[in-house]
Amino acid sequence: YPLFQLGGPQLRIFRPNFFMLAVRPGVPQPEDTVQFRVSMEMTKVDIKNYLEKIYNVPVAAVRTRIQYGANNKRNHKNQRVKKPDYKVAYVQLGQGQTFQFPNLFPEKEQDTETRSFDDFKNKYMEREQQRQKGDPRRGGVPDWFGL
Amino acid sequence: MAVPRGWWVLWHGRRWFSQAESGVAPRLPDSLYPPIVASATAKSKAAKRRRLEYFHQKVHAAPSVEEKLRLYAQLQRPKYRLHPQTFALNADRWYRSFTKTVFVPGLPPRAAAAAGAAPEVQQSATAAAPGAPGPGAAAPAAAKPPAGAAVFLDMGKLRSLACDALLQESFYQKKERPFLYRHQDHTPGPFLTQLVSTLTAFLCGHNPLLAASTLDLKPEVNYYWHHGEEVVVHGHRKGRVDPVRFQIDDKPHLQIRVPKQLPEIVPLESDLGEVPVINHKPSKLPLFKKQYENKVFIGSKVADPCCYGHTQFHLIPDKLKRQRLVKANLEDQIEVVYRANGIASLFAWTAAQAMYQGFWNEADVTRPFVSQAVVTDGKYFAFFCYQLNTLALTVETIQNNPRKNICWGTESKPLYDIVEDGSVKGFNDEVLLHLVRFLLNRPKEL
Repeated sequence: YPLFQLGGPQLRIFRPNFFMLAVRPGVPQPEDTVQFRVSMEMTKVDIKNYLEKIYNVPVAAVRTRIQYGANNKRNHKNQRVKKPDYKVAYVQLGQGQTFQFPNLFPEKEQDTETRSFDDFKNKYMEREQQRQKGDPRRGGVPDWFGL
Repeated sequence: MAVPRGWWVLWHGRRWFSQAESGVAPRLPDSLYPPIVASATAKSKAAKRRRLEYFHQKVHAAPSVEEKLRLYAQLQRPKYRLHPQTFALNADRWYRSFTKTVFVPGLPPRAAAAAGAAPEVQQSATAAAPGAPGPGAAAPAAAKPPAGAAVFLDMGKLRSLACDALLQESFYQKKERPFLYRHQDHTPGPFLTQLVSTLTAFLCGHNPLLAASTLDLKPEVNYYWHHGEEVVVHGHRKGRVDPVRFQIDDKPHLQIRVPKQLPEIVPLESDLGEVPVINHKPSKLPLFKKQYENKVFIGSKVADPCCYGHTQFHLIPDKLKRQRLVKANLEDQIEVVYRANGIASLFAWTAAQAMYQGFWNEADVTRPFVSQAVVTDGKYFAFFCYQLNTLALTVETIQNNPRKNICWGTESKPLYDIVEDGSVKGFNDEVLLHLVRFLLNRPKEL
């Protein structure tokens, strides 16, 4: 950003080229905290203004940290492969709002056809496994040798 | 037979091991062998319990309070630092859950208890209407014997004292412009010091406890405690279950310590509300860990005769001023700042006072410890009363402990509207009356 000095013009950014990705927190966060992955160049003030001006979300506090991407994996040429670094922002919402990351893969209701087909498939698999097993009196010992 | 048996015990274990033996299990007179107890050095839960038991006994048997404090705060591990003056959002809710405190809005109804010693405020000619319980209690109270006689206070004199201090600091005295972020130290700080010292000196005649009190300027108050459990995340101690350690290091602006304790406000086992339960880790507040000296301190060392607390005065720093919060769209956090400051500071002070008397989380308090605090930013005053009913906040001791600590608090009210042209406009007598009542609070015997 251009350096600001007293009396200079206010920096205004229209149509910023930043993107924010809301992610599910790995560890449980308080109810008013939303976790984002943001561009490395964004600052806390940027994030606050971005959410307030573009999405009308009241923001009370922002905390950021940079997650270092590991450099341990090796490719077929034994060169180190770096996972990219990214910045994580924890945004606390204002005015008592709360946010819970939604469940993106809910259990779907199965209709009768699929359920009966699944049952039939399970029963068939069980019968096949039973047939593969040898004599139970041999106690799990294979029957390709012996009498 | 007795001699070789004793030698066998001493030779087998280390010296403290044998001392633990005699402390933990009483030896039956007719048994030939020492009692069978869990090992003290094995890597097992029974051994850990035995070591903990041994530590508790060591602290119980400590000869002096200094030794008890030294043993209690001996082991240094990373702990969460609680700052009473914090910018964290909804910090007062988190602090209440860490200290098992119930917050009751409004001050405790002390009219009945203090009716005999209640100050009857004599209004000067230009003053506003007197407080509600005043006139009703005045007539019968005036006829009481001197021990419980109503005390007549000159409201005009008190108001003039307050206005003098305010004008001296903000109008008459020529000061340089305050440096950046030093506005609070420029005017409100000296005004508060001046106000409190003059009011205390004036009210010494009415309250003999104040005559024997000590006024500390910028004292230090520290307290260290355990609450809850967590699993160590990384390090050489990874995977072990540890208590969550907290430390408060507070620097109130002023503090009044007295030799006699303030009377209890409600009985020890009262239940006035619910303690918030927060299942998240304290680091989400945000709260940070650091390892340094575990200190328990009230403002003076143990041998000081003024070992009980009376009132603390806190000054809100520049970072948490009203207009800054308003500019950042955080109006609802203004009261949170005052409440968090009151709860945390008073908990640390009362708990440290209790530790100075020999109580700790295994030896819970037998009488409630009461202290008061005034949190201000120079213009707005908020009053807090705290009663410490329990110190037992660790995982084992909190399970069967129904007692809760209680904090009463008001919202912040302005003392005056504006100071201009050598006069104070819009002076609020109610706030001054609250302050005076706080300073006049004393045990019933006096």
